Amino acid sequence: MNSEFKQVIRVYKRNKLAVVAFFIAIILMVLAVIGPYLAPYDPVEINLQLRFEPGFWEGNTDHLLGTDNLGRDIFSRILYGTGISLKVGYAVIAITAVVGLFIGLVSGYFGGAVDIVIMRFIDILLAFPPLLLALVIAATLGTGIEKAMLAIAIIYIPSLARIVRGSVLTVKEMPYVEASRAMGAGKFWIIVGHVLPNVLTPVIVYLTLLLGDAILYTAALGFLGVGIDPTTPEWGAMLSSGKDFLILGKWWITVFPGVMIFLAVLSFNLFGDGLREAVDSKLRL
Amino acid sequence: MALYKYFIKRLVLTLPTLLGVSIIVFLLIHMIPGDPVDIMLGDRVTDAAKLALEERLGLNQPLHIQYWNWFSNAVRGDFGISIRSNQPVIEEIMRRLPATVELTVVALLIAVVFGILFGVSAARYRNTAIDYSTIGFSLLGVSIPIFWLGMMLIFFFSVILGWLPVSGRLAMGISIPQMTGLYLVDALIAGKISAFWGALKHLILPAFSLATVSLALIVRVTRSSMLDILSEDYIRTARAKGVRERKVIYTHALKNAMIPVVTVIGLQLAKLMGGAILTETVFSWPGIGRLLVTAIGVRDYPVVQGVVFFVAFAFIAINIVVDLFYAYLDPRIRYD
Repeated sequence: MNSEFKQVIRVYKRNKLAVVAFFIAIILMVLAVIGPYLAPYDPVEINLQLRFEPGFWEGNTDHLLGTDNLGRDIFSRILYGTGISLKVGYAVIAITAVVGLFIGLVSGYFGGAVDIVIMRFIDILLAFPPLLLALVIAATLGTGIEKAMLAIAIIYIPSLARIVRGSVLTVKEMPYVEASRAMGAGKFWIIVGHVLPNVLTPVIVYLTLLLGDAILYTAALGFLGVGIDPTTPEWGAMLSSGKDFLILGKWWITVFPGVMIFLAVLSFNLFGDGLREAVDSKLRL
Repeated sequence: MALYKYFIKRLVLTLPTLLGVSIIVFLLIHMIPGDPVDIMLGDRVTDAAKLALEERLGLNQPLHIQYWNWFSNAVRGDFGISIRSNQPVIEEIMRRLPATVELTVVALLIAVVFGILFGVSAARYRNTAIDYSTIGFSLLGVSIPIFWLGMMLIFFFSVILGWLPVSGRLAMGISIPQMTGLYLVDALIAGKISAFWGALKHLILPAFSLATVSLALIVRVTRSSMLDILSEDYIRTARAKGVRERKVIYTHALKNAMIPVVTVIGLQLAKLMGGAILTETVFSWPGIGRLLVTAIGVRDYPVVQGVVFFVAFAFIAINIVVDLFYAYLDPRIRYD
């Protein structure tokens, strides 16, 4: 472990809230993997005899968090939902990272007409309010978790590409890049070997801050019923199915999935903020 | 550079973006996998009906001609006819626009007024219970899903306490003469105080849930900006010469702390426009966000195209106004 990394960890550990957030985030990540094995029921199994059953607060040990309007077990749905939300979150990060890095590197390194065309296109994407863009892309692509991932990634790709491009513009004028070019290195090697490693820090920080946000947008699409099938045990979709029963006093259908979204977004945001602070402090030294 | 020259420069720079936005919105209908006419009408219609819709949407013409027809109509405010309601799309939008404007403007007001107030008091009483609870609330506010918050507010204030209505803009049976379409304004013009209270009661929960995220961000930025300013020498000087603390805070410090706050406020408009889609769905608020979500649900693509183009256009226009405002506040911006 090198000293820079240790320094980042040391600064991060000073932020108690960020440490707590880190552990909650880890628990959620583990839950996302083992959740389906822990779930006592099939998350999509409908049981009309058991609609609106309250949970443990009324002594129900069969369905700890109660059942929803179709008699599905809320606890099981939430466990499955953790996996879905995090899967979408990771995929959004991966898509954004690959596409954003590629566009930013090409645009920044080659400059000229390529750069102008790409940057104009990015301006166009940024001209839409983010949720509107994701909503419309999801609506066009149709229903499916993979399509929702793509629709949400499109929100972040323009900003990341811009960040990368900005860093590339600075890095490519550095003496070590010039030296490499003078020694006859090809464009591909210069980009991958010299430019890429030196623009990674801002990229990683951006991507960490994005996870909580991406989970929130996933829930928003699920809630609006666009791009995500309303029967999937996705947290936002669960909120949408419980919405109309709130006025009948069936609060548990909406309270628990909402708490999960809130907890996940909050812990990933605090984790990202803490990490950014720690990395910034390293950069200042 | 004079302000009007800057304005023209910004306007010219916007044109290619607007053109690009229109191309993307236009292509939407063509990016739908499969035959859009089949998707919009379903299976149980005659071939003649399909041909008629194809004809009406111009889908039987070459792509560039379709685009030109669509674009030249769209810039004149003609977005075609809704498939479901058979009404012109622009009329559907205009009928619902005031509801969205009223909701967003009130939410922005709440966010700005309370955001600055809480941010200033947190900075003024730094490291006290006031400061910590403000930071805590703003931390939660940034991460809370507003559509869930809206539902929880409904449950608490409407279902349990019964203080506020669950949804809609006005109770059944009450009417307000339409002038601006903004119920609060219209009720005041007509002098109907009870209708004004009714509209306000309907507006409170949606506006507060929509305002939450922006409010939390404005609190954070105001607080940290105020803390920076309060450690400046001129603040110490002001205090040393005996200026009253209230005056130091609100006159000397707040004015100088406002620049980053104004920037954040400008950025909130995009958030609010997106958030309005969610809030309107939670509260059955009859605005354009709900129009869009409903239209997506029933695959009424002319309406989807129209709303998206309209909102993107409005968003670009608002951004220009915000930029102009900055340029007015800070003349250095004009020379970039």
